Amino acid sequence: MKCIAVTPEKTVFDRETQFIALPLYDGEYGIAPGHTPVVGRLGAGELRLTSGDGVERWYVEGGFMEAKNDVITILTGRIVPVADLKLSDAEAALASARGKVATRAQDVADRARQMETARNQIRLIKRHQK
Amino acid sequence: MELVANAQLRRAMERALAADAYTKRIVSLVGDLARTGLDLANPLLVKREQCQRVAVLVLTANRGMCGGYNSSVLRLAQARIKELRADDTDIELYVSGKRGISFMKYHRVPVEESFDQFDHKPLFDDVSNLANRYLEEYLSGKLDRLEVVYTKFLSLSKQYATVETLLPLSEMTDEVEQESGSASQLATSYEFLPTPASILEEVVPMAFKVKLFKCFLDAAVSEQVSRMIAMKAATENADGIISNLTTTYNRARQSQITNEIIEVVSGASALE
Repeated sequence: MKCIAVTPEKTVFDRETQFIALPLYDGEYGIAPGHTPVVGRLGAGELRLTSGDGVERWYVEGGFMEAKNDVITILTGRIVPVADLKLSDAEAALASARGKVATRAQDVADRARQMETARNQIRLIKRHQK
Repeated sequence: MELVANAQLRRAMERALAADAYTKRIVSLVGDLARTGLDLANPLLVKREQCQRVAVLVLTANRGMCGGYNSSVLRLAQARIKELRADDTDIELYVSGKRGISFMKYHRVPVEESFDQFDHKPLFDDVSNLANRYLEEYLSGKLDRLEVVYTKFLSLSKQYATVETLLPLSEMTDEVEQESGSASQLATSYEFLPTPASILEEVVPMAFKVKLFKCFLDAAVSEQVSRMIAMKAATENADGIISNLTTTYNRARQSQITNEIIEVVSGASALE
């Protein structure tokens, strides 16, 4: 099974894998070989690639995934290894989102999403960077 | 300088190709969505009846020495602004690149905002911030259309300045129609999580951002191409001038030597 991650700037990786866990908009989604064709909206969180060499952890923020014929394509604006995330950046993002004044429904939703994104980052960093 | 431009061109081309891969996948995704029978009615795709406020974004280079690259973009932008003014629309002008900024200043055209951070290596994050702003203004009705004046890159031997309307994104639906017309038999039926409509809602702004990013990349590549060509011509001209000057120098030296010999010989013959 093949997994390709593309951002508008470059193809981040393109490799063979045995199992993928993706952060969909409402929770984690696992894909094993022979999965039915699916298109999904990604949320912010951890992407795990399991292969013979062990587990690789990436952080994905938004975008889409498409699985077809055992090729999983990840289209996202941002994908970085979990080890490269910085706690200070995530905490600053959370603080700035929290400080925003939101009056319209759209703003409230945006703020909630930004806070959720930052919290997911912080959780990941605390779990995997010791 | 020709070599520098050449190296930068190669790097810029690689980036443009990478963005191309992303754009193609997004378009095919929208095509898949269209095949589910979903009505592609998104506020970003619908053309507005009345067009009162238009934003014009002009992409130029930060530096010169690239032949007619900047002037052709600016000439087109000027013509377009005149045209829009004649139609009585409000124009918000955005300029990227120092060359364009100084041009507008010289011609006293009011500029809403100018950028010089994109240069020859535009970053997606920067472009995405800009795109978000346009999206917000467009959705809140402060903006009815966004036009980008830039140099489109077709191949190494062909680039031309063009005006493209990015908001509303009507062109995307055309591309999708072409694509779905040709590949309708091969369509796979997907499971959509959560729903096609929700994915469309997310895809369209993303498609716009990528399009805008592509404009920046195209402009960067074209800039390097024109610079390379200009510098190549400059190098050849300089070579020509050098060989001319060398001939002139040698002639002058020879005639001086001849003169000296004549002096020596005539001096010697006077002594006899």
